[in-house]
Amino acid sequence: MKRTVPLMIVLVGGVLMIIQYFIPHRISQDIFDNYTIWVPIIGAFALALGVGSLTRLHGHKVRNKAPNWPYSLAVLLPIYLMPIFAFFVPVSFGGGMDEPGFYHFAFMHIQVPIQSTMFSILAFYIASAAFRAFRAKSVLATILLLTAVIVMMGQVPIGELLGSWFPKLGLWIIDFPNNAAKRAIGLGVGFGILATQLKIIFGVERNWLGGAGE
Amino acid sequence: MKENIWSRMLNLDRRWIFLFIGVVCIVPFFFPFGLPVLPTAHVISIFDYVENLGPENAIFVSFDFDPGTDPENMPMAVAVTRHAFSRHIPVFFTANAPLAQGMLESGLAYITNPALEGYFHVVSWQEWAQYRDQGITERDQLEAAWEADGNVLPANSSGWVFEGRDFAKLGYLPYFSLVILGMTSSIASQYPEDMNGNPLVEMPMLQEHKSLRDVDLAATFSGTAACTWWITYGREKIGLPVAFGVTAVSATDYTIFIQSGQLIGQMGGLRGAAEYEVLLQNAGYFDKPDRAFIGMDVQNAAHLLILFFIVLGNIAYFAGGFHKKGALLKGRR
Amino acid sequence: MYETIGIWTAAIFTLAVYSFLYKENPLYRLGEHLVVGISTGYFIVVTYEQVLKPRLIDPIANDGEYILFIPALLGLLYITRFFPKIAWLSRYPMAFIMGTSMGVGFPLSMKASVLRQLEATILPLYSAGMPWQIVVGNVVLVLGTLAALIYFFFSKPHKGPFFGTGSKIGIWVIMIGFGATFGFTVMGRISLLIGRIQFLLNDWLGVIK
Repeated sequence: MKRTVPLMIVLVGGVLMIIQYFIPHRISQDIFDNYTIWVPIIGAFALALGVGSLTRLHGHKVRNKAPNWPYSLAVLLPIYLMPIFAFFVPVSFGGGMDEPGFYHFAFMHIQVPIQSTMFSILAFYIASAAFRAFRAKSVLATILLLTAVIVMMGQVPIGELLGSWFPKLGLWIIDFPNNAAKRAIGLGVGFGILATQLKIIFGVERNWLGGAGE
Repeated sequence: MKENIWSRMLNLDRRWIFLFIGVVCIVPFFFPFGLPVLPTAHVISIFDYVENLGPENAIFVSFDFDPGTDPENMPMAVAVTRHAFSRHIPVFFTANAPLAQGMLESGLAYITNPALEGYFHVVSWQEWAQYRDQGITERDQLEAAWEADGNVLPANSSGWVFEGRDFAKLGYLPYFSLVILGMTSSIASQYPEDMNGNPLVEMPMLQEHKSLRDVDLAATFSGTAACTWWITYGREKIGLPVAFGVTAVSATDYTIFIQSGQLIGQMGGLRGAAEYEVLLQNAGYFDKPDRAFIGMDVQNAAHLLILFFIVLGNIAYFAGGFHKKGALLKGRR
Repeated sequence: MYETIGIWTAAIFTLAVYSFLYKENPLYRLGEHLVVGISTGYFIVVTYEQVLKPRLIDPIANDGEYILFIPALLGLLYITRFFPKIAWLSRYPMAFIMGTSMGVGFPLSMKASVLRQLEATILPLYSAGMPWQIVVGNVVLVLGTLAALIYFFFSKPHKGPFFGTGSKIGIWVIMIGFGATFGFTVMGRISLLIGRIQFLLNDWLGVIK
């Protein structure tokens, strides 16, 4: 019941879906259509896992007054306040309903700026790395560096001013040698995906069962 | 190891470098060069494809990114949407993640913001109910009837967009790859109602385009490999034409799909978005390009600075003889 | 009012995150934690409005589609993960999704990632009227793909004219590929910074257009 049944579900579900692909009959199509309607419903409940885990982790920190515990409140409060503001108190700052409420505000004016600024910090680190880490130490490193410089300058208008061959060469590198490398890597990844799919379907790969008891 | 000018240079506090890049990314905004951005084949192919579509066709614009890559992906999604709106091509808007749905709302808010020049004026589903009841759903007839009733397009607007006729906000669903597959049979079975709770089956654009088989293009704007779902589950299942708008970091990974014919074209990073904006301007849709084009000036300066850092770093490294002596000072800041 | 407060709040949080560049500080940490909380809260709302209400609650309540109780019950089993004694039940919905999605994906992944890619590599190197740079490019694409594949083939030692030379060319090709990615990565990272600076200078301070 604990391991065999889930493995059987995976096997039967996987094999049926592969067969379904090759039999475009009305019945098999109907089953498939219903399946695609069911899946998002099941998936929606997986959210409870994330919310539960975060609540448990940060609730524990707050209760035990762990170091830096007030930050845990910054996680817990929005998790529960966002739905409250969205469903029960959808009012804006002015108290009316004409402007978007706190729920919208928190997403647009707190979440979006923080998250995009965090990503943008990488620009500073790549500049620092350009100065201190990108060295032409060997032939291979030199090839990488030269390619990067050509592609980089080919992407900006000033590269076009330096010579019209710059962007053309950059595009040629992307379309041919780059494609050769990415295709070889892509084929490796593609075969890897297929092998993993088969391993999961046939129960060779069982890590997904996780630690939910034997 | 003895300190000299080269070692001091290489051990420079990295916050100075941060300051340099910060300044270089601010100054060009005040002194724009306005250098031309020449569109490339990968972007032109998407533009030309959309240019050949009209009100009888339909496209998907999928906001498949979160706020982290908003500065790169948003201008592309905005440019393609504005192109489609200008040509009255019905657009289905989807999102592959909850935060992506937020980006979808944010993008549409930008395109339809009355405070901005060239915005599109939204006529909501409820606002044009009486015309539906009279059986007026054809695009040009609807606009004519709407304007005949005294509705005047504001001077700074590029046109009307009727919800349900010109666009439908489908939004996010979990396991989006399987949702794409489900939509190859029926869009309405996956999305019984739109993000505002309006019934999709009643919308004219849904009645004319029931599944992805009736759709002419799926343009996905993504910061992750999730964009490939549209190829695997849409293109390979029913031959759906797909176009990518991806972050620069992943752009070189997907050109293989253009070469293999699985992809119509691709916009890579801010440059790709700027190219599309230039194409829109050249075709006469808008007077001037949008934010991505303006950003390219800064991109120029920043690339030159990074190039300078690479060259200077290598000169210091080799002139200082660090390639022979082994590691640099430890504990650099 | 709403817009003004919104822009100021966004600007303050933007600067708070940038303050990390000087030194780690409490404001940055606050931002870091808020992102987790708000995105999860947002996730809850969107999931209810996009999935649970229109696809489960409304069809059951309004149209009597009681069959939807099956996926709902299956989904509820996820929650057993929090009760150690019956945690194993959470494997059932996982198994259902895992097995079926692997099965659905297998033939399509085979087509998209393998067959079409192989097909695209088998191409005519030359045809009448083809510019020389395309001919050279085609040769580089076909031989380069082969060479890079040889480099990844570890079942044979990389020695001799075929495997030795092949893998050597292969690593050169791969380095060019990584170089191209790196060039684009620089562009991407700078673009993200440009986006935030545009926000600060335009939306917040209003000093540029």
